[in-house]
Amino acid sequence: MSGPALWSRAAAVAAALALASCDLPGRPGPEPEVLRPEQVLDFATLYSQNCAGCHGAAGKGGAAVSLADPVYLAYADDATVRRVTANGVAHTLMPAFAQSAGGMLTDKQIDVLVRGIRGWAGAAAPGGIKPPAYTAAAPGDAARGAAAYQTFCARCHGPDGKGGSGGHSIVDGSFLALISDQGLRTAVVTGVPGRDAPDWRSDAPGRPMTEQEVTDVVAWLASQRTQFPGQPYPSLNTTHGGKQ
Amino acid sequence: MRLLKALGEWLDFRLKLGEGIRDAATHPIPKSSASWWYVFGSAALTVFGIQVVTGILLAIVYVPTAAQAWSSLQVLNHDPTLGWFLRAMHGWASNFMVALVLIHMLQVFLFGAYKFPRELTWIIGVFLLLMTLGMAFTGQVLRFDQDAYWGIGIGASITGRVPVIGGALVHLLLGGPIIGGDTLSRFFALHVFIIPGLLIGLVSLHLLMVLKLGINEWPMPGRIVRRETYLKEYEQLTHEGVPFVPDAIWKDLVFGASIVAAIAVCAAVLGPFGPGGQPDPTIIQAAPRPDFFFLWLFSLLSLLPPQMETPVLLLMPPVAILILLLVPVLSGEGEKHWKKRPVAVLTVLVAAVALGSFTHLARSTPWSPAMSAWSGAPVPISELKGRSALERRGALVFQAKQCRNCHALGGAGGMRGPALDEVALRLTSDQLIRQVLQGGGNMPAYGKNLSPAETTALVSYLETLKPEGRPPAHDASQP
Repeated sequence: MSGPALWSRAAAVAAALALASCDLPGRPGPEPEVLRPEQVLDFATLYSQNCAGCHGAAGKGGAAVSLADPVYLAYADDATVRRVTANGVAHTLMPAFAQSAGGMLTDKQIDVLVRGIRGWAGAAAPGGIKPPAYTAAAPGDAARGAAAYQTFCARCHGPDGKGGSGGHSIVDGSFLALISDQGLRTAVVTGVPGRDAPDWRSDAPGRPMTEQEVTDVVAWLASQRTQFPGQPYPSLNTTHGGKQ
Repeated sequence: MRLLKALGEWLDFRLKLGEGIRDAATHPIPKSSASWWYVFGSAALTVFGIQVVTGILLAIVYVPTAAQAWSSLQVLNHDPTLGWFLRAMHGWASNFMVALVLIHMLQVFLFGAYKFPRELTWIIGVFLLLMTLGMAFTGQVLRFDQDAYWGIGIGASITGRVPVIGGALVHLLLGGPIIGGDTLSRFFALHVFIIPGLLIGLVSLHLLMVLKLGINEWPMPGRIVRRETYLKEYEQLTHEGVPFVPDAIWKDLVFGASIVAAIAVCAAVLGPFGPGGQPDPTIIQAAPRPDFFFLWLFSLLSLLPPQMETPVLLLMPPVAILILLLVPVLSGEGEKHWKKRPVAVLTVLVAAVALGSFTHLARSTPWSPAMSAWSGAPVPISELKGRSALERRGALVFQAKQCRNCHALGGAGGMRGPALDEVALRLTSDQLIRQVLQGGGNMPAYGKNLSPAETTALVSYLETLKPEGRPPAHDASQP
């Protein structure tokens, strides 16, 4: 680099410093570079760090419940979303996030998450029919549930729930061990968005499932739980289990 | 102008410095030494000057206490006009200084400038390098953010591995059993008084020796350094040489000025370093890492097998320093030109490739030091498509048990273990179950962390991870 070019560059830098010291790109923003973890109150950050892994980016396409599904948002109220986020669901893979329950998030951060998730509801509420209540009013009846199953579910999941033309098994012992009764109820009501499993309105042509039918089908599914789920060789396991 | 001259003469009549300065400035140097390759040392000194000036200005605002150091840097970043720029200059000049000292050393090594009679200049230079690195490390501690806090914690635990006196050394280093105000005071004293004082003293000595012994001549292949003849040969070269001022110094000035300009541009565009997160040990989400010039050490320590750590940590630094100090003693004579010194060139190349690779590894951190780095990365939608209820539960197990921290899916995830997008081509279901439960290779056993149902779900999900249309792995012992 020649002398004059250098000087003109140095002069340019000096001028830039003098004139635009407020707008130089290196000037740090008003916030500290790294916030304390409890000071993070941005929904997108909190959601992507804590929820997106299972519930999917923007609440869609994950392996767990699709939080952005309008049916789900009409079915679960704020208090429910808040309780589940804060306390988790025992014996399932949904952990507790509130510090009071052993998680890492403050109550304020849980509020941010609940508000943000609710914000996805938008205008796209499910038309017309009110979804069944989030919690069952009374325990279901497995025998009646078996009949309801034949009406509403067997078409795809097969006559015994072990899978059929359009759906996979939903009575696998390990699957049932990893989902709560409430989780089963949510799956029946909301279906699995993005896949072929429809919600409670269109499981069978003609009419939606009634509240009682939903409760009973869940009771029937729950009755299919096994005592020792997840044994890799179930046929061997029966004799082994018999000896114990 | 006449007045100025009169004042100068009045002063010089009493100070008697003028003649010495004039002699030093105009001392003849070999023609070949007025080279663009001979500018790194003076540039390092220029940057050291920046560090002294910016450092003094920073010390006016900085509070070296555990409670206030971090917030005083926030104040510097935001309140005083151009306070952030001052921090940025000091931080970038630090990086430039380490780089320049390393380049200077490399140049001296490859040009054989450490050979007779300049052995002691090299040995002092080695100490100057150590002090420059010491300044960089203590400076990082003074930033007193999470990186600093855990960095000094790691420094202390390395020190603690010294046999017998380790505990006492840690106590000395930290000023107590914990990292706190006393630690910061010690590092402040080191960074502001002790090391700079030594640096100024040794730099003066280093410079004096350059003046007295003369700048190294440009090496020529075949021109052999011998103790008996070198001084006479060098005298001959200087006899035909040029005065340092102005024939050589303008290159130093131009290069030094461009370095200063480069530092200013970096500072203005890229801004100050940190401070990062608050130095609070209760923040367990911290994923600290050292500054650029110590990144190689970060990867080396992360990738060493555990049983090698203590020997390497305690033996490598003294051995490396000893080798550097012995260089001029072992090869004080002989060939100076790099073309005739293949071992020297190879050593430099190996060291550069090793340090470069370790630095690169530290930037990609394939050993996944941040425990929650990928906890939020969703499973790719294509790898959930068409999966059964059980397999989808398995994907949840995969996410919830943080398999992702070591195994990538769809390109997102740790690299400690293999990516699992095609795992079903490699392992049968039985092999997957065994690997998950018992671990093996580099993987810990998860048998105690997974229920049988979770294992079944996880493995049934993993069995779906293969490209469509390819047959899964099969057990060769079965028909």
